[in-house]
Amino acid sequence: MVEFRNVSMGYDKEFDVLKDISFKLEPGSMHFLTGPSGAGKTSLLKLMYLAHRPTRGELIMFGQDVAKAQRDDLPKLRRRIGVVFQDFRLLDHLSAVENVALPLRIAGGKGPQINEHVEELLSWVGLDDRMMANPSSLSGGEKQRIAIARAVIRRPDILLADEPTGNVDPEMAERLLYLFVELNKLGTTIVIATHDSSLVEKIGAPRLHLEKGKLLHIEGTKRIVSEYEAPQ
Amino acid sequence: MSTSFDFLPSVKHREATKFLPWVMAIMVYLSALAASGSLLLHSGFDDWASSLQGRVTVQVTGEDFEEIRSQAIEIQDMLRQTPGILSARVLEKEEIIELLEPWLGEGNVTEDLPVPVMIDMETAPDVYVNLEALEIKLKQITDTVYLDDHARWLVHFYNLTYTIEYTAIGILIMIILASICIIIFGTKSSMSEHKTTIEIMHLMGAHDQMIAKAYQKRFMLYGLVGGVYGLFLAFITLYGLSHLVQNLASGLVEIPTFPYVMMSTLLIFPIMFALLAMLTARITVMRELGRMT
Repeated sequence: MVEFRNVSMGYDKEFDVLKDISFKLEPGSMHFLTGPSGAGKTSLLKLMYLAHRPTRGELIMFGQDVAKAQRDDLPKLRRRIGVVFQDFRLLDHLSAVENVALPLRIAGGKGPQINEHVEELLSWVGLDDRMMANPSSLSGGEKQRIAIARAVIRRPDILLADEPTGNVDPEMAERLLYLFVELNKLGTTIVIATHDSSLVEKIGAPRLHLEKGKLLHIEGTKRIVSEYEAPQ
Repeated sequence: MSTSFDFLPSVKHREATKFLPWVMAIMVYLSALAASGSLLLHSGFDDWASSLQGRVTVQVTGEDFEEIRSQAIEIQDMLRQTPGILSARVLEKEEIIELLEPWLGEGNVTEDLPVPVMIDMETAPDVYVNLEALEIKLKQITDTVYLDDHARWLVHFYNLTYTIEYTAIGILIMIILASICIIIFGTKSSMSEHKTTIEIMHLMGAHDQMIAKAYQKRFMLYGLVGGVYGLFLAFITLYGLSHLVQNLASGLVEIPTFPYVMMSTLLIFPIMFALLAMLTARITVMRELGRMT
């Protein structure tokens, strides 16, 4: 699914933000990406959602070397990836429904089925009364839920989430985690970047721990993901 | 093949290209005026020149009107017998005064004013008539006879007309080039304004073509809407100008009829500018996106 082979990446030629990273994510796995601020978590995610290319090394996504991929190959790969950005990156001129429907429309989806599907998901994340609202009128937590709904609407092969529960209350955080776990059970590979150690404890998935741009592999906890139950 | 939908904010959202339809309207207006100027001159001059084709004016000058008139009748008879000349007719004094009045003012052609006698002559279109030899022959009747086949001054007029016509075409080309530059600038400004939106679209798997389609559709609409307004204003201006010219030039020169059919070719301008805007926007977007990661 995803394989890093001695990958380094920097935003300029003089300094590497990520240094010699190697790991492999199996299809259907779930991992947490942890580390202090500035450790390179977001940069690692950027490589995985193909916003940047490695400076050195090989990054294999869905069997294709990203560094060597043609520009025209990228959209096809990106459509298999769902991303929850730390800063949400919602389009302010579109309503909540339109934002969530965006990946479907990009993939060529049309008609009322899209809206039906989107509205169902927005209801599930507790935004059934805010569907037509524009992001600028929503709270941080509401924006985050829209961002998550947008990332999962097409049931991607891999879901990358950067601090996905940072702006929501504990109850909603539980619901969102449950959503991630359910997606994972359906076969979606999931990587969640977080500072929240309680989240990691609760789910018990293996951790990819970054320190100063270097990766330290840490074993998962005793609990396994499949045992996680829906919040009441 | 990528699908298309307009993900860009509407112009109400302080869009950089908000005024582009107005700019396009002005460009189409100026283009239509330049093109119509060229068309009108072309068709007007051709009509006029062809109406003068084969016509020669013979003038007999002198102080005594009765004397020069009798000489003119003698000349008319000679001309009528000359091979290659279809017709020759001495104009009546009233006709000559009628021709002079627009230049001298009504009632200013007085009895004591020495007025030449004129003969309107038409040569056969397929026969060459040596006018110089004819003039020498006519001078046997009187030294004060002159032939004017209009060619001498028509060639200067021809040169002036075609210089103006080509200048108008040059202006049209410059307007089109300026429009292309404005569209490129507008497209780049808009892309810069919506950089985040474009990035998000890319990260969700949008092809460059999908982004380009949204831009080309929007810019095509700008060109079309602006073009229709610009052309409408140009027609009003032309209609007003043609009336003004007809009133001013009444009697002085023959004003060609307004070539409605030829002018209807101007209807293509909004479509032409819409296509120009669409293609320019597409090429600009594809080039700019190609520079991105």
